[in-house]
Amino acid sequence: MSKYIKTIVMAAVAVLAVAFPFYTGAYPQSIAQSVLTYMILAVSWDMLLRTGQISFGIAGFFGIGSYAAVLSMLYLNLPPMLTILIGGIIAGAIAGLLGIAVLRLRGMYFAIVTLAVAEIFRIIMTNLKGFTGGPEGELLPQLIFQGNPYLTYYLMFGMAVLTIIISEIFLRSRVHYALTAIRNDEIVARSSGVNIFKYLVIIFIVTSVIQGMTGGINAQTYGFVTPESSFSLDYTLLPLAMALLGGIYGTMGPVVGALLLGIVSEYLKLYIPYGHLVIYGIIVVIVILYMPQGIVGLAARIRKAGARNE
Amino acid sequence: MSKLVLQSLTKRFGGLVAVNGVDLEMTEGEILGIIGPNGAGKTTLINLISGIHVPTSGNVFFDGKDISTFPAHERSKMGIARTFQLIHPLENLTALQNVMIGFMFAQGMNQKDAGVAAQKTCESLKLEHVERDVGQLTILETKKMEIAKTLACGPKVLFLDEVMAGLNSDETKDLIETVKRIAQEHNLAIGVVEHVMGVIKMLTARVIVLDAGEIIAQGPYNEVSQKPEVIKAYLGGEA
Ligand SMILES: Nc1ncnc2c1ncn2[C@@H]1O[C@H](COP(=O)(O)OP(=O)(O)OP(=O)(O)O)[C@@H](O)[C@H]1O
Ligand SMILES: [Mg+2]
Repeated sequence: MSKYIKTIVMAAVAVLAVAFPFYTGAYPQSIAQSVLTYMILAVSWDMLLRTGQISFGIAGFFGIGSYAAVLSMLYLNLPPMLTILIGGIIAGAIAGLLGIAVLRLRGMYFAIVTLAVAEIFRIIMTNLKGFTGGPEGELLPQLIFQGNPYLTYYLMFGMAVLTIIISEIFLRSRVHYALTAIRNDEIVARSSGVNIFKYLVIIFIVTSVIQGMTGGINAQTYGFVTPESSFSLDYTLLPLAMALLGGIYGTMGPVVGALLLGIVSEYLKLYIPYGHLVIYGIIVVIVILYMPQGIVGLAARIRKAGARNE
Repeated sequence: MSKLVLQSLTKRFGGLVAVNGVDLEMTEGEILGIIGPNGAGKTTLINLISGIHVPTSGNVFFDGKDISTFPAHERSKMGIARTFQLIHPLENLTALQNVMIGFMFAQGMNQKDAGVAAQKTCESLKLEHVERDVGQLTILETKKMEIAKTLACGPKVLFLDEVMAGLNSDETKDLIETVKRIAQEHNLAIGVVEHVMGVIKMLTARVIVLDAGEIIAQGPYNEVSQKPEVIKAYLGGEA
């Protein structure tokens, strides 16, 4: 029964998301694209979290992807869609090289190092003036799809669907068992034949490719990169807050969290500039204190309680 | 031929020598008792064999091959399995899923086959409630699950680190029978660490006694337990 409901709800959401641009103006549509962007980042952050590793480096790979897309178009004259792919590949390659060193760290040490690495990327991009345009960044001569907002929305939507599919595949396959074992107890996992390092590196690369491609799409949509905007800490902190609010260790949580927080914060921004950041802070504190499983976890608990009362 | 051979195996933690020059051979079908006072180095010895620690010096041979520096997951795939003194059932997974992990990663099965195999293993251990979350299992069920998890790795050599701890006498008897049975069925070399000497007497043909990292005596339990150096080790060096 609940399976049918879930399928119907998901189909309805998909139809709504596809039809959405035709019934609304430019402004809601740009909000929707921004929500999708954060949603992808939130899901990808959660995918790595399932190994127990907390990354503060999302903005780093997002920014790398943004710069790679814009620079490969400017210097190599590649078609925009290809540059987005290149954004993902370069972010993934850097994650692979970095991961070999960084993925030996755990907990707070890993978190801090990923934060520092993102900052180093930003500083490098600021200082390679001749190549990256320095603090002013670079502008693209034209936007992807000639700036057609329908198409950019669908591109980001497609990226979100792809990310959700990858996340679900990981949750339903043996990868899920490996990651859950690693998160629970690495020594037990190793003693059961799980090659921990292999899984950590693979997940780190996959999530970084996703974040890099998302940065690439974003840069191609708005037609520019700057160190401040492309590596903005928002791209790290907002997805994290969204995933925590919605519920971690699954696809649904980050998706729900991104929808809620993304939409609420856009409206708050109108009334209190920067107010949305205060709201984020408050939400994170409340969630961590009172509902560590997030909205999705809370809903599951209520459902279970309801089932027991019947 | 011996399945597992240890040659002057030594592990230091800073100034402390936890395992000191241990020589040992284990053959298939044999249950070996590993006893000794707290801090004698029993768990560390298992960690060295299973690859959780790298030895400071000395070697571990498995099937004649030097595996001293092999990573733990490789050794698990080769057939070295162990339980943990502080058991850590994997949370957010059912008992059955806990058992499936070894089948998937140590034995390389796909998810579906692992599910079937895990079900069979649990049945053979008379472990029920496999669909329950690990937090809802009784102590005996948890212990059986831990043993099932090791069998899932397709072991040839198995170490049980105080699996009987916390069980009442009926449960202990139940688990002793289980261990005897799996040793025969799977033709395993088993190393059993226990503080309860009754268990050691019932299970093992031979014991080694560790004290301060060294083997101070070995042989059948009844002989070894009479030796003055063993009595002395257990009484804290005063007898
Ligand atoms: N990872 C470690 N780092 C430092 N010292 C350790 C480590 N593991 C064990 N030790 C020390 O090595 C010695 C042997 O410990 P071990 O756990 O092997 O003893 P044990 O025989 O299993 O004792 P028990 O019967 O209490 O379980 C102890 O002094 C212990 O404090
Ligand atoms: Mg011990």
